Amino acid sequence: MSPAHTEGGLRQTRPGSASADNPSELAPLSSTLADNPPESTELGFYVHVPFCAKRCGYCSFNTAPLEDGTMARYLEALHREIDLLGGIAWSSRVRLSTIFFGGGTPSLLAAEELGAVLARIRARFDVAADAEVTVECNPESVTRDKLAGYRAAGVNRLSLGVQSLDDSILPRLGRLHDARGARVAFEAARAAGCDNLSVDLMYGLPGLDPDGWTRAVEAVLDWEPDHLSAYGLTLDAGSLWGAAGVEGLPTEDTQIDQYWRLARAAAARGLEHYEISNYARPGRRSRHNQIYWRAAEYLAAGPGACGFVGRLRYANVKATPRYCETLAGGELPIASSEHLSKGQRLAERLILGLRTADGIPAALLETRLGGDARLRDLVERWRARALLVDVDDRVRLSEAGFLLSDALFVELL
Amino acid sequence: MVLSRIRNFSIVAHIDHGKSTLADRLLSLTGTMDAKKAVDQVLDSMDLERERGITIKAHTVRLLYRARDGQEYTLNLIDTPGHVDFSYEVSRALAACEGALLIVDAAQGIEAQTLANFYLASDANLAIIPVVNKIDLPAADVEGTRNQITETLDLDGTEALAISAKHGTGVPEVLEAIVARVPPPQGDPDAPLKALVFDSYYDSYQGVVVYVRLTDGRVRPGTRVLLMSNGRSYDVQQVGVFSPDMRPVEELSAGQVGYLTASIKRVADAKVGETITETARPTAAPFPGYRDAKPMVFAGLYSIEDTDYEALRDALEKLRLNDPAFTYEPETSLALGYGFRCGFLGMLHMEIVQERLEREFDLSLIVTAPSVQYKVLTTAGEVLDIDNPSKLPPPDRIEQMDEPYVKSSVFVPTEFMTAIYKLAQEKRGEHRSLEYHGKRVHIRFDFPLAEIVVDFYDRLKSISKGYASFDYELSDFRPSDLVKLDILLNGDPVDALSVIVHRDKAYEKGKALVEKLRGVIPRQLFEVAIQAAIGSRVIARETVKAMGKNVTAKCYGGDITRKRKLLERQKEGKKRMKQVGKVEVPQEAFLSVLKS
Repeated sequence: MSPAHTEGGLRQTRPGSASADNPSELAPLSSTLADNPPESTELGFYVHVPFCAKRCGYCSFNTAPLEDGTMARYLEALHREIDLLGGIAWSSRVRLSTIFFGGGTPSLLAAEELGAVLARIRARFDVAADAEVTVECNPESVTRDKLAGYRAAGVNRLSLGVQSLDDSILPRLGRLHDARGARVAFEAARAAGCDNLSVDLMYGLPGLDPDGWTRAVEAVLDWEPDHLSAYGLTLDAGSLWGAAGVEGLPTEDTQIDQYWRLARAAAARGLEHYEISNYARPGRRSRHNQIYWRAAEYLAAGPGACGFVGRLRYANVKATPRYCETLAGGELPIASSEHLSKGQRLAERLILGLRTADGIPAALLETRLGGDARLRDLVERWRARALLVDVDDRVRLSEAGFLLSDALFVELL
Repeated sequence: MVLSRIRNFSIVAHIDHGKSTLADRLLSLTGTMDAKKAVDQVLDSMDLERERGITIKAHTVRLLYRARDGQEYTLNLIDTPGHVDFSYEVSRALAACEGALLIVDAAQGIEAQTLANFYLASDANLAIIPVVNKIDLPAADVEGTRNQITETLDLDGTEALAISAKHGTGVPEVLEAIVARVPPPQGDPDAPLKALVFDSYYDSYQGVVVYVRLTDGRVRPGTRVLLMSNGRSYDVQQVGVFSPDMRPVEELSAGQVGYLTASIKRVADAKVGETITETARPTAAPFPGYRDAKPMVFAGLYSIEDTDYEALRDALEKLRLNDPAFTYEPETSLALGYGFRCGFLGMLHMEIVQERLEREFDLSLIVTAPSVQYKVLTTAGEVLDIDNPSKLPPPDRIEQMDEPYVKSSVFVPTEFMTAIYKLAQEKRGEHRSLEYHGKRVHIRFDFPLAEIVVDFYDRLKSISKGYASFDYELSDFRPSDLVKLDILLNGDPVDALSVIVHRDKAYEKGKALVEKLRGVIPRQLFEVAIQAAIGSRVIARETVKAMGKNVTAKCYGGDITRKRKLLERQKEGKKRMKQVGKVEVPQEAFLSVLKS
């Protein structure tokens, strides 16, 4: 296979125009992971499990139907990929601080299957003793026994895809559980000993009125989850709804109302709004996801999974059969990669960091502003409207700023 | 070369009546060009011309034709621009000919430009050969069209050739008719040189290439020539003909058509209509009818990036080398900064200049609302030419305002008459005359130029299902009750959005304008009030709500690259925005002023 590779836009094709901010761009760039050692010794590890029993209308993630034999072929390939990644020279020098099974529906994995994958990762990598190991679960695919098995295999954090507690909305989303099933799954996780349990919800859904949303939020908060992710519905082009359209979407004002109802309810229960769509009890933030927002490094395995090491962002082959074939041939299934220029690296640190309550170091923003009077003026206007706030030597967006964040991010690129 | 075997002719027609197709046929039939492709390169050679399907510059081709009498003739085809913006250029090209083929579509009949071109050709005393084209069409009405030619044009319709340029039917007869019915040029090769410039363009190697028609005398390399309108003398370096590429010859003499180069630096020094003679032995009088092309429409041109001002100035300078018909001078706008007030022959000309600046010079431009030039008599007794609304004196200092009017012709099937009159009324047209020509009418209106420069032609076409045709010429200035309509964004007037309108239409225009702007100004962090005002009186208002939410809900490991690229694309789009005060205004907002 020949990976598509780009570097800082088109600069690679113009060797004469190496910019002053990055003279090393003249050097030939390799898209292999081996040639791009990470800067940090601590990495996250993302494992993509592509299968779903059914595709949800709003989802544009990389999913595949689960047919006979596909899970076994996928697992074989995944093991081989872990071997290949672990065989890279610099792998012995890094430690994994988080492992995250995302999907698709990772909870379609039997406890033994998941355990075998984790064992293989441990065999090939140094995994920190206190590593955070998360599995995304769909309520209908978990039982107390399975979750106890996960826990025994080393899983210490679960994220439960509840999405809604309205039994008239859940089927429209394409979800296979009902409100009662969600509650049962939550209790099963607690019973299995999970003390770091997250719930996913969605708002801005067709047919969801503000009071219905408040009821759902309060009900879930009553369960006392350790962490809550709540996403305003976005119609991605790659989703069924994005392509075909959907009726009954609430107005923008209703979506905004729902955002604030959630923010207030979560605050009242002592949850910290630590990222645009994420809330946590103190000490229960997602360590893995914070790696993304800190523009830090992570490896990735599985079809369509994306990783970031050194200055290289890369993505695996999406189609599961291709993914399996490539690994059967003994090659890492990297489909595309991009070397970030210094400017892109800075832009990412700004726009990812500002998604969080921690924000970014004021000095980093200052680096970006430099002599750009127009941008400086614009940032001042965000400050004047209290959309952007200074906290000691850091800058962050307020909760009102979160809602408008993309308008700032486009300027910070 | 013997004058009796030269024919200088042009082809004139209403748009889409088949002028280019016939020219192609004549070229291939005389072996001047074999491949259709090569023909396309000769006629309509600018990209823009090909894309728009119109001729902007004149082109010339020499055809060698062995006629049925056994003699070989030199037929010089002088192609003319095909748009009303360029009618002066057409008149000069026709002045270089003795005859014209007047093409009429057998299915459409005579249209406004057929008539306008006929008048231009007969004013130039040309032998006119009517040609009924597209006789292969099912809807072709050859006899009806012949009758129309007889009745409307005062030509003998029975002598019209019936052809299908597309299929080649009857085209050999066209060549014969050119030989038989176009008179050979007359002139004295031994008299002092007298040559008419009917086109010119700038070539970076040879300087200006001047297209000339000689009526008297001779010119060859080394001849010292005088350009009579500006008194400058040059040494001729090369003379030649178009066959169809430029081919140097030893000499051009009376009656011939060709080109010359003489290290002339700017097209403005050898303008269309100029008379060239010998410095040592000048001809008695220049050709009549020379005039400077006069801009009729004015607009401000600004680069979106302030830093591109110098680049824009350089680009305008280069463009003007080749296009003396457009003018520019620096101006400043409170809203847009430093730019240029440019004059154009018409809207098409303006669009062409804008497109060339953006394409050939890679500039991102804002074009402000076009304006015509008003004559303003102040209370102090001065007369001001105002082509920029922001330069209009305050109302209490204006004694009287005059606006330019045009005389226009509309040709339209009778069934659309009512709609045309309604449109004319809306555009402040004054009816002058009405003539019936079978199923069609020829209506003459006087219009304020300002009412027809922008979208009049499109409107006319749409209400008449494409059947109406239109032509106009500038006539005079007339007093008018005009006001300046200002647009305010959050209370601040945006000078580049101001327009001068008739008082009776100010309310309607203001309302349409703020509605249009509401649609194109994106939501910002704050509410944006858009107001239209006359003086201090606000007559219309719209509001762009503050941005409610603009957020990406999910951004995890696999989303980061996609997200960044999406934002990068949005940023590219934002480059087309101009910051006016605190409000970001997209490029199209300035153009929307004219489309509302």
